[in-house]
This record gives sequence, C-alpha cells and structure tokens, in this order.
Amino acid sequence: MTEREFELSRRDLLRYAAQGAALVGTGSLADLSRRRTARSSATTAASPRVKRGGTLQAGLSGGSSSDTLDPQNWVNLVDGARVYSLFNPLVDFDLDAHPVLSLADELEASSDAMKWTIRVKPDIEFHNGKTLSADDVLFTFQRIVSPKTPALGAISLKALDIAHAKKIDKYTIQIPCLTPFSPLADILASYDFFVVPVGFDLKHPIGTGPFKYESFTAGQQSTFVKNKNYWESGLPYIDRLVISDLPDEVSQVNGLGGGTLDVIDLLSADSIAPVRSGGNNVIITKGGGYTPFTMRVDQPPFNDVRVRQAFRLICDRNAMLRTVFSGNGKVGNDVFGLWDAAYDSALPQREQDIEQAKSLLTKAGHTHLSVTLVTSAIGSGTVQVAQVLKQQAAQAGVTVNLKEVTSSEFFGPNYLSWTFAQDYWNYYPYFSNVLQGTLAGAPFNECHTNNAAYTSLYKKAVATLDEHKRAEIAHEMQQMEYSGTASGYIIPYFNPVIDGYASRVHGVTSSKTGLPLGAYGFKSMWLS
Amino acid sequence: MGDHPHAGAPQSADTGLGAARLSDPADGGREGGRYQPMFAGAGARRRAYARAHPIVSLVAGRTGQGIITLFLVSLVVFAATQLLPGNAARAILGFSATPQRIRALELELGLNRGWWSQYWGWLSGLPVGRLGASLANSEPVWRLVEPRLLNSAVLVAVSGVTGSVLGIALGAVAALRHGSLLDNSMTVGALAVLAVPEFVVAIGVVILFSTVVFHLFPGVSLLTPGENILQAPRLLVLPALSLTIVTIPYVYRMTRAATLEALESPYVEMARLKGVPRWRVLVQHALPNALPPTIQVVGLTFLRLAGGIVLVEEVFDFPGIGQGLVNAVTDRDIPVIQFIVVVLAAFYVVVNITTDVLALLLSPRRRIPT
Repeated sequence: MTEREFELSRRDLLRYAAQGAALVGTGSLADLSRRRTARSSATTAASPRVKRGGTLQAGLSGGSSSDTLDPQNWVNLVDGARVYSLFNPLVDFDLDAHPVLSLADELEASSDAMKWTIRVKPDIEFHNGKTLSADDVLFTFQRIVSPKTPALGAISLKALDIAHAKKIDKYTIQIPCLTPFSPLADILASYDFFVVPVGFDLKHPIGTGPFKYESFTAGQQSTFVKNKNYWESGLPYIDRLVISDLPDEVSQVNGLGGGTLDVIDLLSADSIAPVRSGGNNVIITKGGGYTPFTMRVDQPPFNDVRVRQAFRLICDRNAMLRTVFSGNGKVGNDVFGLWDAAYDSALPQREQDIEQAKSLLTKAGHTHLSVTLVTSAIGSGTVQVAQVLKQQAAQAGVTVNLKEVTSSEFFGPNYLSWTFAQDYWNYYPYFSNVLQGTLAGAPFNECHTNNAAYTSLYKKAVATLDEHKRAEIAHEMQQMEYSGTASGYIIPYFNPVIDGYASRVHGVTSSKTGLPLGAYGFKSMWLS
Repeated sequence: MGDHPHAGAPQSADTGLGAARLSDPADGGREGGRYQPMFAGAGARRRAYARAHPIVSLVAGRTGQGIITLFLVSLVVFAATQLLPGNAARAILGFSATPQRIRALELELGLNRGWWSQYWGWLSGLPVGRLGASLANSEPVWRLVEPRLLNSAVLVAVSGVTGSVLGIALGAVAALRHGSLLDNSMTVGALAVLAVPEFVVAIGVVILFSTVVFHLFPGVSLLTPGENILQAPRLLVLPALSLTIVTIPYVYRMTRAATLEALESPYVEMARLKGVPRWRVLVQHALPNALPPTIQVVGLTFLRLAGGIVLVEEVFDFPGIGQGLVNAVTDRDIPVIQFIVVVLAAFYVVVNITTDVLALLLSPRRRIPT
C-alpha cells in the first residue's frame, strides 16, 4: 500500500461524503435510504486496495470503573466507542451528521404524524446467528421505556405510545403516538437507540454491529473480534479491536508515539504538535457538540433578558476559540443544532460589543454587576473558557467570580440548578436538542427556560411532516433563542475534535457529530 | 494517600535523620524507650513484657498498635468519603444525572442507608474476608483489586530492591571516596533527582526510551485484563525504571551519611591505627554499623514507593492499586477505596515492624534483654 493509493481512497471518502451532502436539501424520508446506499457503494469501491486483518489498538480518552456495554444506558465516551462497535441503531448519523437509515429499511409516518411504521432490513444477523426481526425492535423500544428502569432515551420517546406498539409482519412494527410527532428519525439517530435482541442480557452483549464481544474489563480494556457476517458488505477490515481506557492525555500521546496505540481521541490543542512531531497524524473535526454557559432565566440577575444579552455581547468568541483550541473549531451564535437542515445560518454572527453590553446592563440597573460562575472540567476547555469570560467581562465592568468544583460536585445535587454555570452537549439535531434541553420540563433544562410561545411553536413543528414548514418554525424558535427571550445559553463555539492516528492506520474518518474518530468508525479502518 | 497510614506509625522512622541517629552506637541508650510495650501503665503486664525477649514484646506491641491504626484509618477514610461532594450514583450517571435516575440508582446501591450502617456493613465483613462489591460495577472487590495488588507489588518490589541495592552500593563508594570528584558529582546528581517530581522523571524516561529518542519499550503499560505484569515484563520496564531513579538518591544519601559517620568513629580509627586494611575496615567494621540505619531507610523507601506509585501508575496507565485508588475515588466507590487504603496501611504497619525488628537484630547492644 503506497501513500498515493491511500490518498485515492481518502478522496473516495470525500466524494461519497459529498454525495451525501448533495441529497440533504430534499430531505424526505425516502432519501435517507438512498444516502445510506451511496455511502455503502463508495465503501465497496474503495475495498480492492484495502488490506485486511490485524489488530487495531485504540487508546480512548476517559472511562471509569463504571464503564458499561449497555447500548441504551451508556454515559462516557469510551462506552460510546464500544457500543458503536457492537451494536447498530435503526437510524444513524452519516459523517455530515445527517440522519440516515441504518438497520431500518423504512421509517414512515401516517399523514397526521400520529402513527409510525418501522421496517427493518431483511437478513441482518445478530452475533449469535439469529435474524433481526420485528420482535427485537419491539423489545428494544420496550427496554428503553421500561417503567422500572427507564433508559436515557425514554425522555425523547414520550410522545410515542410504546405500550401499544405492535408487530405487523416479520420485519415491521407500528407505533402509535400520544401526540403528533414528526422528527422521529432525528431522535432515533441520537445515540441512545441501539437495537438489541429479545431477552438481551448484558453479560452476553449480542448486537448486530461490526464487531463481536470477546472480553471487557470496566475501566481498563475490551477486546472485540470481527463480525464476519456483518451486514454492510466487506466491512470491517480489521480482525480484532482492542479499546483501552486512558484517563490521561499524556499516556495517550505516549502510547501513540511509542507504537503501542494506533488511534487516540479527544486531544487538546497542546497535543497536536507532539503527535505530529512523532511522525503520526492528527485529524481535526469541526464538530457540532458545544459547551454552553448556562444562565438561569428564572433567577436574578439573569431573569432580565437585557442581562443575558449583555453577557452574550461581552464574549469575544474568536478570542475564546483561539485561547482554548488554538483557533480550531467553529464560532457559535447562541443557537444549537449546527448541522441540522433547519439550523438558521442566516442569523447575523454575534460579535463582541462592550459598549452595547454596558448600556444594556445600565438599563437593567446593574452598573457594578458581580456574578459567580460555577465551572468544572466537565468537557474539553470548559475551565479555560470560563477564565477567558472572566477577563472579557472585566472590560465591561462586570465581575465574574469563578468557582471551580470537581466534576462530582458539579454533577452533585446542584446540577441543573446552578444560577450561572456550564454544561456539555453532544451534537443533536435541532428538535432532538429542544426536547431535551430548552423546552419547559425538559430533563436537561439547565437555564429553566419556560416560554409559552416557544413551546407552542415546538408543538406546531412536531405536528407537521412538511420539512420546509418545520424548518420555518424552527427558524422562528431559533430567533427567540438568538434574541435571548427563550434561551439562557451562551454558545461561544462548537467544539473541535482532535484525534491522532499512526501512519499505518488508514480509513480514519471524521464525523461532524463531534463523536471522535468518525463516530468510532473502526469498521472502515485498516492497517498497512 | 500515603499520609493517613503514615500518621499511625510515626515512632518508627519518620525522618531519615531520626533513623540514622537510631543506630549511632555512642547514642544507644537514648532511644531505649522506643521498645517499651505500649500498655506500660498496667503493672502486671509490664512485668510480663519485661521478662519477654525485647523482640517479642516489640512485635506484640506493634501489632496491637497496628490493628488499632488500621481501624482508625478505615474510619477516617470512610468519614472522608462521606464528606466528599457527590456519591457513587452521581459519579456513575455524570451529566445524565436526572433526579429520578439518581434516586433509583441510590436505592439500588444502598446509598440511602445511614453512614454508620454502611460503615458497619463493611467493617463487619472485613475479618471474615467479606469485602463487598464495587458500587461502580458490582464486581466483588477482591476480584477487582487482587490483580492490581499483584502488579503494584511487583512494581514496588522490583524498583525498591533495585533502587536500594544501587543506592547502598553507590552510597558506600561515595563515602569511601569522600570529597573526591566522584563523590561530589554523585551527591549533586542525587540532589538534582530529588528535586524533580516523580511524574516528571517518568515523562523524561518515556521521552528517552519510548517516544522520541529511542523506541525500546512501550510508553503505556496496557496490560490485557486477566494477565499479570509478570507475564508481560516489557510493560514493567519503564515504570520500574522511573521509580528506581527516584529511589536511588534517598538510599544513596542515607547510606553515604551513615557510612561516613561509621568511618569517622573511634573504633574505625582504632582499627586503622592497628593497620587493618582499608577494605576490611569498611566491610567488617563500618558497614555492619551503618546497616541498621540503612535498613530503616530502605523500609522508608518502600513506604514512599507505596505512595509514589499513584503518580507513576497514572502516567503509564499501569493497572496497579494506585490507579485503582484514583479511579475508585473518582467513582466514589467506597468499598474499593476502603479496601485499598486498608491494604496500604497494613503495608505501612508491616514494613515498620519489619524494619524495627531487623534494626534490632543487627544492633548487638539491643539484642540483650534489659
């Protein structure tokens, strides 16, 4: 395998990424499967040059003794890497972070968005040889909404009446809705909806994914082997996948430099130079995940919208990005859902405006405002960006007292009720994020937003199947977030994702979701 | 972490200087009180102990103290875990910690019980070897900690023995060549290494032998679970080398000081005046007298290593108890924290007793029952 051939296969990757992008605008559900097909055929086209076999050693950031392989209850990102390797969801994100059909062959709503029909692809095998059927899909949904131990995804499915879901034929189920709900594809792609077989037992984590379980020790390492009967033909290329937990970035970089590790993820900007100087590669992704400042809209001083606006104007977002990520990443505009077709990129970019901020604060009666910002190393760069905010706020005469706490304290009893703090969000399609974050009563509503007009717009949007109309309503909602009336977020930037890989590793991709290593696309990696 | 257990055994050898003084033959009587039984107040017992051989009374007394120390350590550490913000349920759920999920998990893990009930549950199981299960992943504590214990024991033993042997040899050589260029440069070098934190030494070792200069050994010690470090000795090299490097200067400095002191003592002067050859003076007269303080130093070194492995294990991602303890604290995994701390504290107690017994056996004056 020469360098030139590798370039060719990389170009192939870019090409099929572009094919995916070309189909985005139309956005009907039938397109979802076309996009998936486009991606698979490109993968097959690249295969003759590919070398098969070998063991890939992945040294991934984070993990702990409470690591789990439960595909519906995973928490840390090393869990995510394992779950993505063992299981498939019904709908997945492609590399551009657009939902595409994965195990599902068809996803169709009734015209009033009150009933969903889900059909899975035929002839997909679980690791134990059993064929995926409608029963497994039903079981998966029931497991997620189980009244005794509801999984994280249960929150997003509350519009669906899972209890009355029924099997139509061998591969098809039908789920009635309690209230009209159109953005189901967005939800099902959102990380928590991996399909498990009937009677799933965590001790034998059987899925349909590209790799089969061999061993797993929480907080340390897992070994998976190639699933020879994987449904995406030709994949995966490697025979074995070893994923090790590496809580320390120094040991990740050392492991890559010393040849023990093949791929490492979620590095800080400081590691770019050492990885490159060791003869290894760095891949930087503009992801859609973000670490917002969260201002509680129901508590002073942030219950005054002018104060929220002033804080947003205090931020020099480019300077923040430069300080924290050496300029990698994408400047934010206080609106989330970056890669969603419904994201309003026409909103003017908010720039720092100290004078305007001062005048807003004066009008709100806060000439010498002093606030406490609770910060913690809960996401990459959170503490650094809080320090930058403190300095920038001083320019406007605002005192920001930093209170740095450990992550256990941050997620302690005050989590989701700090007056002024930060949080970490993966990329979610717009309505999926609204449902979890900004809607009144949403489970992760850190800012305690409760805006009746915003809620009624949301209800109107999820009741329509017309994507253009839905996007129009989304823009209205985003306008309310942008102006600060229905949002307490400052989204200074969308976090970049910095991964490293050895020169012998090929097929490393990059996913705009912000999940590292192309959303843990180990199946497309191969070793020379 | 090393502070808690250490506090329980301060009388043995809390500073290198104290240890050196201990064996000074001219000063033998001064610390005689050290070996009095701890319950000296009870008259009958005093007589019983007084008749016993000093070593027996030493071991008996120290073991009793040690058990009390272990109990107090476990209580203090348990109290500390209760004071830490957050608990295991919150640590496990992280940012997915909604109030409902927290409540369900707290109930499942038994965290809703009072702290006394939780502590008693743990303590009552300890004597019968019922160590409980990890809160983080429900595995039995022993099964989680045992492989780590072995790995750390190997790491401490290898670096402690290598570091001590090299430190003693270099220290003796430096004392013999007192004031020479060799002595001076080794002493300065030792001071320089002492001034560098352990993890910086570890990173330096990685740069030199793994990532930048040479590519000889792995820079991370990723052990396949189920395997122990003896089955993958290559992974042991760099962590052990790092710890050896930080160990040598301590042993070196203490051996050098003790040997110098012995070499300058009246009996050595006497031997020299009699015309005994230089090497025989060193081997037969000076070294045996320098040995007891050196043993105290070696003991201290092992104790230091037991605390020092935490940082080095972190740098190398070495699957030992140091890393296990850090993980357990992050996860608020109380049964695992408690067990590792008790094991470390027990190690302190045992090493202290052993060094004292050895020092006693090697000091002729102290072997005689008083």
